[in-house]
Amino acid sequence: MSTPAFEAFLARIYVEQETRDRFLADPKGEALRAGLTEEQATALAKIDQTGLRLAASSFERKRMSKKAGANRTWLLRLWNH
Amino acid sequence: MAAAVAAAVGAAAVEMKKDRFGIGWRPQLAAGIFANLDKIDIVEVIADDYFDASSRKILALRTLAAQTPVTLHGVGLGPASTVPVETKRIDQFARLIGMIEPESWSEHLAWVRGGGLDIGHLASPPRNSASVNGTLENLHAAAKIVGTPPLVENIASLIDPPLSTLTEAQWLSQVMQHSAGGLLLDLHNVYTNATNFGFDPYQFLDSIPLQQIGSIHIAGGRPIEDRILDDHLHDVPDPVYDLLRYVAARTDKPLTVILERDGKYPPIASLLAQLEQAREAVRRGRV
Repeated sequence: MSTPAFEAFLARIYVEQETRDRFLADPKGEALRAGLTEEQATALAKIDQTGLRLAASSFERKRMSKKAGANRTWLLRLWNH
Repeated sequence: MAAAVAAAVGAAAVEMKKDRFGIGWRPQLAAGIFANLDKIDIVEVIADDYFDASSRKILALRTLAAQTPVTLHGVGLGPASTVPVETKRIDQFARLIGMIEPESWSEHLAWVRGGGLDIGHLASPPRNSASVNGTLENLHAAAKIVGTPPLVENIASLIDPPLSTLTEAQWLSQVMQHSAGGLLLDLHNVYTNATNFGFDPYQFLDSIPLQQIGSIHIAGGRPIEDRILDDHLHDVPDPVYDLLRYVAARTDKPLTVILERDGKYPPIASLLAQLEQAREAVRRGRV
């Protein structure tokens, strides 16, 4: 079942390249080392790897785009000050 | 705060007697939208863009809301989670609703952060009973603070979420069965997930509570490897109009259809033409 710990681990493999690489090298082992349950680790061992790669890339583009937007807003505020 | 906000939403709410067709408000489309308010029945505004807005920006939004029905759409609450949504985020939403008095508000059935990390976008929750319960608790908390429950939107995904024991239709139906708010049915998201994960979008529509539809989204995306990315940067594809027609044929309640476009903006005439195609799809469905 979903738990905050499971979501936290999922967020890390979505966001952090290094964690994702370690996970993909040994999905179940990495999940168990992170303290997840046997059920959760088994589910992660069967993860949709194509989807993980595509989703992680899409999330990263969104974060970059938000950061660029925030920088533009900050510069505009500075300019208008 | 809840009672005042509920009154604000209630005051602006309209009893719908006809189908309506609207567009997502984006600054790049402002001139085109203002020039064509006679062809646009409702405008959907991204709420998160206004949480830290200047009083001038809020006044501009109030001016828009005085001229046309407005609905506020959130992208950052992330209620589809076993982690409670922070109260301060719901408070922000409630304050904006109090200032703008939209006819409704909505959020995505997504989670957006975990373990202190901001994912950056809408992530599809693992579909199981724990995430159903967490989602319902979060929606209940949001409704309590805001005073009215949100419309909740099905999301698109590139990844089939791990630890899922329910299909998307089962998960969505269980949430809707116990949710006090309506469904914001995104038909491009249905089309996208059906393509990405190999299910029949019509069977999906047959197995979710269409009578709970409060609003509909249409949009376009692009192929990415063997999947579709719901990027809102492209025109609405024909299969989405076909799904809209299918939905219109199965509900006799008036529909509110909103076109979303987040970039690569075409001339407003092109967006209006897509709204007209949506009108035609609903008309044909109703025959």
